[in-house]
Amino acid sequence: MKSAGRIALFAVVAVSGLVAGYWLYPWNRGVTPNTGNVAELMAATLPDMDGKSQALAQWRGKVIVVNFWATWCPPCLEEIPEFVRMQKKLGPRGLQFVGIAIDNRDKVREFAAKFGINYPILIGEMEGIELVRRAGNDRGGLPFTVIVDRKGRLLGTELGGLNEQKLTAIVAPAL
Amino acid sequence: MNLRIGAISVVELLVAACAACALYAAAADDLLAPEQAFRFSARLVEPGLVEVRYRIAEGYYMYRDKFRFTAIPQAAGLGEARFPPGKITHDEFFGRVETYRGDLLIKLPVKSAGGFTLKAVSQGCADVGVCYIPVTQTVRLIATGSSDDAAKFGGTPPDLIERLRDAPPSR
Repeated sequence: MKSAGRIALFAVVAVSGLVAGYWLYPWNRGVTPNTGNVAELMAATLPDMDGKSQALAQWRGKVIVVNFWATWCPPCLEEIPEFVRMQKKLGPRGLQFVGIAIDNRDKVREFAAKFGINYPILIGEMEGIELVRRAGNDRGGLPFTVIVDRKGRLLGTELGGLNEQKLTAIVAPAL
Repeated sequence: MNLRIGAISVVELLVAACAACALYAAAADDLLAPEQAFRFSARLVEPGLVEVRYRIAEGYYMYRDKFRFTAIPQAAGLGEARFPPGKITHDEFFGRVETYRGDLLIKLPVKSAGGFTLKAVSQGCADVGVCYIPVTQTVRLIATGSSDDAAKFGGTPPDLIERLRDAPPSR
């Protein structure tokens, strides 16, 4: 019995370790978040698909998921359908996705229509690349996602694909 | 007895917690910088022929249709790049896609006998699901010897935008 108890305890702690690791994960990567950079990102203004200037500050007060992507980046395209689904599901609770495309407008427009993207897409081009780098992603890898809470504080960053489960775990406590 | 079990348990607890944490630590970002993932060099192997080499790190690959080579000055007369056959895959978004891994040697005919700058734009990804913003690398090619050491990693932005504008549609 004692041995069974120990196994159970071992399992509980292992799971706790996993959870702790999961929470520490965004801070555990080469991409080190820095609140100063987040403030800079959230202060940015970029054109939308119609060429109209859009300030990221307009979504302040929501939990914001800023996703840097490009049409030439297959792993970026893989996660977009999940973002569309999450925007629909959690948008009413205050979740706001904002895509920043490191790409040209015509291609972005074509893909946005194809994927039925239901959140704002801003066109990054050169300024977007600078934002990606200044947000802590010096390798210039995509997709890159920065998650910010209602008060503009950094919740996490992710280099590489995100899925609904992982992203929900990050945003849910802030919603 | 209890104490012993207690002691063992504490060790076990630590091991369990660390092992679980390490799982995530191992998955932490070991992504190479693009210039390390795609090691670029170029040299004039004979008058009128440039060999461009990319040593692609394991776990990384490059897209054939993303390479762009230009000579500065343009009068150096760069011809059409000759690529070895790559791996053809059918991507759900892009259709037919040709990629390279390992050692890639591209041949570039050129009119000039040397004394020009070669500008190479390339783009690749890592198997872990990250793609790099296109990078521009430049090398000064002189008539004799290799100029591998002169290869330098250049900033991307102006060239990327140029490339994005020039790029043909994805399909």
